[in-house]
Amino acid sequence: MKKLKNAEYLISLFLSILASLIIGAFIMLANGRNPVTGYVALINGAFGSKYNIATTFAKTVPLVLTGLATSISFRSGISNIGGEGQLYLGAFGAALIGITFVNLPGIVGIPLALAASLIAGGLYALFPAILKVRYNIDEVIVTIMLNTVAVLLTSYLVNYPFASEIGKMGGTEIIAEGYQLSRLVRLSTLNTSIFYVAVISIIMYYLLERTSIGYEIKMVGQNSNFSRYGGINVKRRMIFAMVVSGALCGIAGAFEVLGVHYRFLQHISPGYAWDGMLIALIVKNNPIGVVLMSIFFGALKTGSISMENATGIPSELISVIQSIIILFIAGESGFKAKIKSFLANRRAIKKAGEKNA
Amino acid sequence: MLKEIINLTLLQHTIRTATPLILAALGGLLTQHAGILNIGMEGMILMGAFFAIVGSYFFSSSLAGVLMAVGVGILVGLLFAYFVIDLKSDEFIIGIAINILAGGLTVFLLRSIFGVKGAFSSPDIVPLPRFRLGFLEGIPLLDTIFNNHTVFVYVSWILVALVYVYLYKTPYGIWLRASGEFPEALETAGVSPRKMKYISSIACGVFCGFAGAHLSLGYLTLFTENMSAQRGFIAMAAIIFGGAHPIRTLIAAFMFGFFDALGIRLQVVGIPSQFTQMIPYLGTIVVLFVVAKSYIRKIKKNVEGES
Repeated sequence: MKKLKNAEYLISLFLSILASLIIGAFIMLANGRNPVTGYVALINGAFGSKYNIATTFAKTVPLVLTGLATSISFRSGISNIGGEGQLYLGAFGAALIGITFVNLPGIVGIPLALAASLIAGGLYALFPAILKVRYNIDEVIVTIMLNTVAVLLTSYLVNYPFASEIGKMGGTEIIAEGYQLSRLVRLSTLNTSIFYVAVISIIMYYLLERTSIGYEIKMVGQNSNFSRYGGINVKRRMIFAMVVSGALCGIAGAFEVLGVHYRFLQHISPGYAWDGMLIALIVKNNPIGVVLMSIFFGALKTGSISMENATGIPSELISVIQSIIILFIAGESGFKAKIKSFLANRRAIKKAGEKNA
Repeated sequence: MLKEIINLTLLQHTIRTATPLILAALGGLLTQHAGILNIGMEGMILMGAFFAIVGSYFFSSSLAGVLMAVGVGILVGLLFAYFVIDLKSDEFIIGIAINILAGGLTVFLLRSIFGVKGAFSSPDIVPLPRFRLGFLEGIPLLDTIFNNHTVFVYVSWILVALVYVYLYKTPYGIWLRASGEFPEALETAGVSPRKMKYISSIACGVFCGFAGAHLSLGYLTLFTENMSAQRGFIAMAAIIFGGAHPIRTLIAAFMFGFFDALGIRLQVVGIPSQFTQMIPYLGTIVVLFVVAKSYIRKIKKNVEGES
């Protein structure tokens, strides 16, 4: 039964992506461009050379982390929409360590910076989680509000107390060399954070799919009353899921600082947490699915730049395609119910017709 | 110093910056009463702002711009309603999808229609007409504060009154509120909750279209990427702050508009504006907390009373 459901979901996922790409092709046509050359350029741009593949994977790093963060929170039935804020605070925390303890060797410094980002992101998620379980305050609204608060707070910090001497662009000083993760492929920003992300993904997979905690989190999300009678501490599991979610977003921010920019910038994330949320929603919070879909989104992001250079189709087309995929997936069960009732109706009418005849 | 910050321009700016918040919040509170939390307002405003520019530029008329913004607002409202009401999709997933769609689509179209990146401005874009209330012209203070705004400033105030009357003084308003609170009861009374939810969602699209048109055609005639700049979320904050009551929401929107305007003044003088900008967001959390606490106290009292 479960297998059948999975197969059914994979088919709808495939159809959703296909339909969205077809809609994308029509948009290209309406724009006076050839969709075939467009998509060929896109695939080439994403996987055509060593550099392109490296860039695709570099873009995958923050998406996997924010996607996994969304998965664990949504599974437990508490919606963390505050990933963007947690990411900013995590990134700033990592940068703060990197510019303060400049003499630490990397082997001590990097874990310290990651710990700082993890704590910053986790604590920032703990607050809305407590409001939710203690006072039943809607966490969706609170986390949305906290996003902007974090962006404004870090923007203040890097423009005033921590403003860098080099250029007036709203960023901290460059972090010490020991903290800078080494690049793997020349010119691309792909760095060793990808290995950390691989390890984190495996841990998250085990946590969610293979441990009793993961099972309890799932139960809490599906039916919190039932879980309570079953002896699960619902509140504690929700708080746990939320804090882990915040910590993952914080780490996503840290890798942007330690691996990509080597400093904190006031607009460090172009909405990674929102992208991660889309990814988790599309794959229904499945950790393996998050990793695969992140690579797909990373490829779209990277390929779209080449598509733009080669054919002149603006790269923003892909965010249109991504949001259409999510619309299809979100409407999936509704569409299915519509089709089923339509077919059932037709059958009923046919039957009635036969009877009358 | 203080004189440079607090002056008549501050009040004038407050009125100006509060207007898109009022308009969007009015739309959002209608869906709120129908039981739908619409976090897609941000995207709806952004689309409105963009298509207002398109209409005004190509038809050389600000009215065409507004109509275009409203038309797109209706379409997005319909899309939202279809997914949330008919397909029973999660309302906040659809909201997020609309925000991302709006962010991508407006930039995509900005580049494919106008061939520019970042921002588009042109002398061919016709701004919204400014409005003067004749009887205020003799009074210097009120003249500076209340006159010479775009039509939407005054329209927004009238709409607040209309929405108030609609919600609380007409049967339709009762239906709308019932569709959120007691859909079964409404159904029994022979009114379709589905229809009321659709109407609220479309109205929200229209009001956000107004808000967008005010942003792009109001004072500076231009469109910039992401020009909605969190206003959809601040409008949501205003709704929660005002308990989805039109007049209290209006007051909240004015308050948030004031802090926004104050932030701009502070920047001019060189004082960090980030903290004044945070007020709407932090204030909303405080309000939610206070409401939740008093609710819990009430329940406790009831329980004690029964025993």
